[in-house]
Parts: sequence; structure tokens; C-alpha cells
Amino acid sequence: MSVVNDPQQAPPKTASSVDPLELSHRRPDWSASQPMTRTQKTVTVALLAGLAVAFLCWPQQTARGLIAACTLFYVIMTLYKFVVIRASLSPNAILRFSPQEIAAQEPRAWPLFSVLVPMYKEPETVKQMVASLASMDYPADKKDVQILLEADDAVTLAAARALTMPPGFRVTEIPASFPRTKPKACNIGLHLAEGEYLVIYDAEDLPEKDQLKKAVLAFETSPANVACVQSRLNYYNPRQNVLTRWFTAEYSAWFDLQLPGLAALGAVIPLGGTSNHFKTRILQELMGWDAYNVTEDCDLGVRLGRAGYTTRMLETTTWEEACSVFWSWIKQRTRWQKGYIQTWFVHMRDPLKLLKELGPVNFLHYQLLIGGVTFSVLVNPVFWLMALVWFVFRPEGVAQLFPGPVFAAGAACLFLGNFVFVYINLLGCCKRKTDSLMWWALLTPLYWMMMSYSGWRAVIQFFRDPFVWEKTQHGMVKKS
Amino acid sequence: MDQDRKTYRLVRLLTGGVTPVVLAAALLVFARLHDVAWEPGAQAAGICRELIAGTTEGRQALFGSCWVAPLPVLFYLPFAWLLPEPAAGWAAFFAAWLFVFWAVREAVKATGHSGWRIALAQAAIAGMMAVSRQPQALQTATALTAGLMLLAAAAVADWAAYRRLRDVVTAGASGAFLMLCGFPVFGPAGLAVALLPLAACGVRETRVRFQAWLLLGGLPLVYTVGVLLLLNRLILGDAFFFLRSLGYLVPHPGLFLAAVFAPGLLLVPALVVTWVCDARGVKPGAGPVAASALLVSFAVALIASAQVLDVFSVGWHTVTLHVCALVVLLIALTRLRQPMVRLALSLMLFVWLSATWLGGKERAAAPAARDEIGTAVEAYVNARTPYGRVFVLGYAGLDLLRGYAGERLVPNMDLHIGSLRRAYKGQNLYVLVPRPVGPVRAESVFWKHPDIYELGGDRLLFAEAFGAWHLFEVVSAPTQEQLDEWKKAR
Repeated sequence: MSVVNDPQQAPPKTASSVDPLELSHRRPDWSASQPMTRTQKTVTVALLAGLAVAFLCWPQQTARGLIAACTLFYVIMTLYKFVVIRASLSPNAILRFSPQEIAAQEPRAWPLFSVLVPMYKEPETVKQMVASLASMDYPADKKDVQILLEADDAVTLAAARALTMPPGFRVTEIPASFPRTKPKACNIGLHLAEGEYLVIYDAEDLPEKDQLKKAVLAFETSPANVACVQSRLNYYNPRQNVLTRWFTAEYSAWFDLQLPGLAALGAVIPLGGTSNHFKTRILQELMGWDAYNVTEDCDLGVRLGRAGYTTRMLETTTWEEACSVFWSWIKQRTRWQKGYIQTWFVHMRDPLKLLKELGPVNFLHYQLLIGGVTFSVLVNPVFWLMALVWFVFRPEGVAQLFPGPVFAAGAACLFLGNFVFVYINLLGCCKRKTDSLMWWALLTPLYWMMMSYSGWRAVIQFFRDPFVWEKTQHGMVKKS
Repeated sequence: MDQDRKTYRLVRLLTGGVTPVVLAAALLVFARLHDVAWEPGAQAAGICRELIAGTTEGRQALFGSCWVAPLPVLFYLPFAWLLPEPAAGWAAFFAAWLFVFWAVREAVKATGHSGWRIALAQAAIAGMMAVSRQPQALQTATALTAGLMLLAAAAVADWAAYRRLRDVVTAGASGAFLMLCGFPVFGPAGLAVALLPLAACGVRETRVRFQAWLLLGGLPLVYTVGVLLLLNRLILGDAFFFLRSLGYLVPHPGLFLAAVFAPGLLLVPALVVTWVCDARGVKPGAGPVAASALLVSFAVALIASAQVLDVFSVGWHTVTLHVCALVVLLIALTRLRQPMVRLALSLMLFVWLSATWLGGKERAAAPAARDEIGTAVEAYVNARTPYGRVFVLGYAGLDLLRGYAGERLVPNMDLHIGSLRRAYKGQNLYVLVPRPVGPVRAESVFWKHPDIYELGGDRLLFAEAFGAWHLFEVVSAPTQEQLDEWKKAR
């Protein structure tokens, strides 16, 4: 039963009466408000110092050991991708509802559905967003749409006030306070939400018309422990430039293949930033999003898993705007990767507890998805450089670092593993029927270099400015 | 619902676990008990020995010839690393046949038939291998090639029939792995991959996505070829090294390459059937009839490929192609809708006929006594010089040295007398050359020095014959030190 739906139990809430940092206040161990605990700092420093000493005393053996460990990691990651992609072919990987099935539901009483749209300095997208949500195939009196605007964002507020809001739409002003992040705004929206279900959309999102109905059906036909249904995301501007082409290829592979595969395996799912539909009560029980985590969605996916809930994928697409400017992309990716690092450290504060709560299989999923992906982005440049040096100069020193079996495994990862990762992107494009992007997906290794650059930028930022939220600039399609 | 799920799990366990393990174990026992000529991993073991030792010869051997497939070697490598011989050979044999029986399951299950049909097909293939008593058919390399060929053929047929994206991926990946199974399957692998976009040309909806099927299906194969070229360039200094033997073995390589792909013409009628069925169908895809037509045509094309190799006198591995063809035909038979009893009878008849045909094929010669030759050569050289070193040439040399533990005999994959003299200055060098018959003719030493076995070569002086091997001494002008020593002695 919804806590906020019963006016007898609680006085009416206002934005200023809500504590948007409830999670960090009540469960600081679940929040990234403290990026690393003292123990984590000690262990990290000890590990680095140990490595430095080992390099000084036994340079070759240490390098060999590290390379062998990294090669093993690559082998595991490649096999893991195989397993996930194979699982994505399973019929239960994604929840599907045909238009006929939805039509067969009528007439029926649809539940109240809350929609949160956090915005910041995006006046040009307000009108489009309101029109898009108003046109969604869901009873107008069952929509509870909150446009979450910062109180000091005068331009967007003015744009919102200039519009005549459709029924069920309201503007919620978020009082200015630290940290200035999207999840903080969403937490206020969550406390003021009145719906049985809740979804988040970004300002520039264009969800498919019947998405809310599909989400309701997904919850109704799924077991009770399904707390979240993630829609697929894709971009409406894939052909704007090479960056948007690569980005679309990557998103197609992630949302159309890898996340369904993870869902089929019952894995912890790092939620996408928008279009995740929740059962409002469960989200409130979990105290919403961590306002200090810059990928609050990924963190929430893990917390859902730890609390015993699962996430399913829904066959419906929300169209977004792909970042088309190089530096904006770097900043966005830096934030995502910083968020993954934050999330990994938050949940690894007590690894045994995490293991107990997630179970061994999901614990491995967590390590490979959250820690593994970030780690690979960081170590990739080292191995690319070594491969390049070996191909061009054939120095004996590099060859000595790869003894027999490590060389074989390393060569397999280089030639087979990298190809598999490129091929997955191709497959994603093919599944999305964006065939022309497949040729561009062949150049994905260049995109990986950008990812590695932003990965290292994320590491530096994690230690220097852990809470800085580098806002992605939208509306570039229209400008261009 | 629960009962259905239980039955599904049981069938999966039976056809994906129990039956393959039992049949692979039975084949292994049969091979050990009844076929003395059969030797597991005969070729792969020698290469693996060098690879594990990390030698250049091992890497050269892995990618240096299109007639020696790298995939069976790579498959054998972990077993050779973990287990001693012959246990490594047995384990690799068992695993390879396990893969074949798994491939059978994948090839049949798309049709939605019951688990018993899959188990029958698996048993029929094991029976065919046992009844034919063809040693080459039981080799690990043959099993791997047959399994991959089956996956590729069934995936192409399923793609034509049901238009599932997973079939494009399976066919593309199988085709790419087949490119690592040796020259005899290059043509069929290319044909299987080429069929993917062509089979989708029946209706406009899939025809307009031609580039997608071409890219998704063909890219793995093209990439594999690219990797082969790159590794040949890096390891052997010539991107086309692995193909150079073709120029020596066949008089008109261009004509030969055209002939290798000519069996593709046999697939045209089946393609037309696919297009017609696709255009007339209501559901996406051409349906099971077209799939059967494709499978049968593909099997015929495989037999034709074997004939082409025979015509050009390079048909040393045609048994592998025949096994592939029979396995594909057997699957086509299993996929037909017919009562279980009739299916069992027709499979029995098929096994009997095919095993008779396969068993009648020429058998590969039993390997010569390796240890005796090695010991005799070593004794001969030791009797003449304490500083002798014998370079045993080619893949035949790797096989000869499989059980050799000494240091006098060393393998050599790419003969350069000058380099050897520089590298082993002051030592007495010998070269041991195998007789150029059968697949040994494809060794690099013979396309570089065609008359070496009979006439020797620059600085090579015939020393002695050891069975089918000729030993040559590398002769050179004495060094100044040797001359001084000689003068002093006089």
C-alpha cells in the first residue's frame, strides 16, 4: 500500500518539508556521501604501496604476475559477454506485450502512474517534453506528472510557467541545496508522488506511446519481487555525426542485448538513467536515490538486488538525444564511470555482507559489471600500447612478459575477445534495424579509446571532486 | 506448466548431457579397442609440444600451412598443457565428439522435434563412425570440422526457414571457425556464409537488409582470414605463406581456386526453392521444405568439393569432407516430419549404407616408427661429431620429434641454410628431409626447394637414408680457426 496515498497517515508534504538526503542520513553506509571508508583507503594505499615495492624489488616477476592476472580477467570478461549475449536470446529475456494484448485489457481501471521529469537549464525542451508526455496512451486522470525544476533555474521555470499544463501535470520547485544533483530532485519528487507506479524521464526523452500501459502489465504479470521494469533506450539522432553513430551502436548493444541477457540470468542490473518504472512503495522503502551518487540509477539497481528485488526488461523504447559534442560526451562518460566507481566502493564496504545479500552468482555479476567494466576501461590502453609496440618493434622485453599459456590466452583475447566486443555492437545495430550504423560500429575501437580517456578522467575526478555532476547538454540536435 | 518445464529440463539434460557423454565415451572405448592405426592428436601433439615450449617453430607450425589446420591444434593445446600423452589425446578426442553431439542437438532442436529424435540422430552418428571403421573419420580434427560444418549448415537452413537472427550469428561464427580447419573446408565455409544474404533475397523485407546479413554473417570469416594473413606476416614474414604451397601443388592455381568454389552452383536450385517458398509464405522465412532442400544441396556440394580436391590430386583430407556431408544428410533426414519408428528404420538404413561407403575410402597410412628413426639419426650424427645438430623439417618433423627428449634433433619449419649457419656457427649441421608424398608435398621446404629430397641443394650433401627420410649434411668452407688447427695438425 502506498504511504503517500493515504492522507490520514501523513500531513500533506511540500518540497521544502522533504528530506532529499534521507538515504545518506538514515543509511550512510549505503550512500556515496563518503566516497571511501577509512578501511578502503587503507587497503587501497597498502595495495598500491605493495605493488610499488614489488616493482622495485622484482620488476619482471611483478609485471608478469600483473599481466597474467589481467589476461585472466580479460578471458573471464570475454566468456562472460558470450554468456550474457547467449542468454539474451532466451525467450524470457524481455517482457513483450503486443498492441492486441494491450487493447484486450480495455475497458479497465488503470492505476495512477507518477512520472518524474528532472530538468535543469533546459528551457528549450520543456514544450516538447510536455507534449510528448501528454500524448502518451494512458488515461489523463491517471497521470501524475511532476516537472522537477531547481528553484534558482529561472529560465526553465519561466518556460514552464509560459505553458498551459495539461491535466495531471505540475511543476515541483526544488529548493537550492548541496549536492546539486538529479537524484536529489528525484527524491523530492518521489516523496510527493501519488502513483502506485513511478517512472523517470529525462527532459529530451520521447517514450513510446504505450509504454506506461506496458509497464503496468509487466508489473501485473510478474512475480511480486519484480520492483523495477527497465525500458530500452535508444537515440533519435544516430546519424548526426560519427559520435552519435557510435553512441547509438553502443546503446543498441547494451539495451537490446546485454541488459536483456542480464535480466534473463536474473542478474543485478545497473539501471539506465531514465525510463525505469518502479513500484513506488518499494522505492520509498529503499529511500529513493542516493543524492551523492552521480550514477544513482546504477546504485539503485544494486540496492534493489541487495533488498531481494529483481528488475526485468520491457520491450518498449524511449528515444533520447545522443550526445553529439566530443567534450560533452567525455564529460557525460566521465560522470558515468565515476558513478560506477562510487557505486563499487559503496557496496564493497562490507564484501561479505554484499555476498550474503546478493548470493554468489549475483556477487560475481556485480564484480564483473560494475567493477570489471570500469577496470577494463582503465587497463585497456596499457595492453593496446604493448600490442602496438610488439607488432611494430617486436622487442624481446615485451615477449618475455608473456610466458607460454599467458601468451596464448592474451592472443586469444586480442584477436577473438576484441572482435567479439565489436561484433556485439554490430549485432545490436542489426537487431535495431539500423543497418547503416553497422559499418560505423566496425570502428568501435576508436570509441573505446575515448572511453579509456574518460575512464582515467573519472578516476582522477573521483578523488578530487567526487560529487561534481557534469551536466550533459541537450538540445544540440535542434541547434545543429 | 510445471510438468512442461520438467519435461523440457529432462529432455535438455538427456540430449545435451547424458547422451553426448555416453556416446563420446563409447566412441573413445571403441577407438581404443578396435583400431590400432588410429592415434589421437597425431599432428596436433607435435605442434602443441613446441607451442608450450614457446618456440618460434611452434608458432610457425600453427599458422604456416593451409593444409595443417590451426583450430584442432588450439583445441588440443589446453589438454596437452594439462595432461601427458596419450591421456591428452583421449581427452581431446572425447571433448571433440562431445561437441559434435551437442552440435547435432542444436541442429535438430530448431525444428521443434522431440528429444528422442535428437538422441536417435546422435546415436546414428556414433554408429556410423563405429561401423565404418575409418580411422581418419575418428580423428579429433575431423570431429571438430564435422561439428562446425553441421552447425553452419543447420544455421543457414534455419535462417532460410525461420529468419532468426541467432542463425546468422551461428552460421557466421561457424564459418569463421571452419576457416581455421584447413584448406579443404575453405570453399564450403565460404559458401555457407555467402548463402546467408542470398537466402534472404526472396522477399523485399529481408532483401533490402542484404548488407546487414552480409556484414553480420561474413565479417567473422573475413576477420579470421585477416588474422591469418596478419599472423603469417608477423610470424613467417609473408602474409600469404600459408597459401604458397598451392602454387607448387597445382599447375593452375587460379583454375583450382575457381574449381574449389564451383560446387556452389549445386546450391542454386535450392536457393531458388527458398526464394519461391519465401515469396509465397505468410510467415517470415521459407519454411522447413526449403531448409531441407538447402541441407541436402549443401551435403552434395561438400561431396563435390571432395571430388574437386581429388581431381587436382590434393585430396588427402577428403574423408573429413565426406564425414561432414554424411552428417549433414543425416540431420536433414532427422528433421523431416515422420513417425519415430520410420525415422529409426531410415536412420539405420542410412548408417549402414553410408558406413559401407565411408569404410571403403582409402585409409591413411599408419604412422612410421618414429622413435627408431630419431634414435638412428642421433646415433649416426654422434658417431661423426660431438657438435652435430640435426634440423628435422616440417610438420612431418614435428611429428617425428613428438616423443624425442634429446637435444641433437630440433624441428625446423622454414628452412634458411644461411640463417642456420649464422645462428649455429662452428657446429656441424644436418638437415633431415621427409619423403615428399601425400600431404608432405605441401611442406614449405618443397615449394621452396622442390628437388631437395632427391638432389639436396646449395651446401646440402646427401649423408644417409633413414626409412622414408633423407639426411643431408650442411657443408661449408672452413673458418680461419679451423684452417689454422688443420695446418697445425698436419
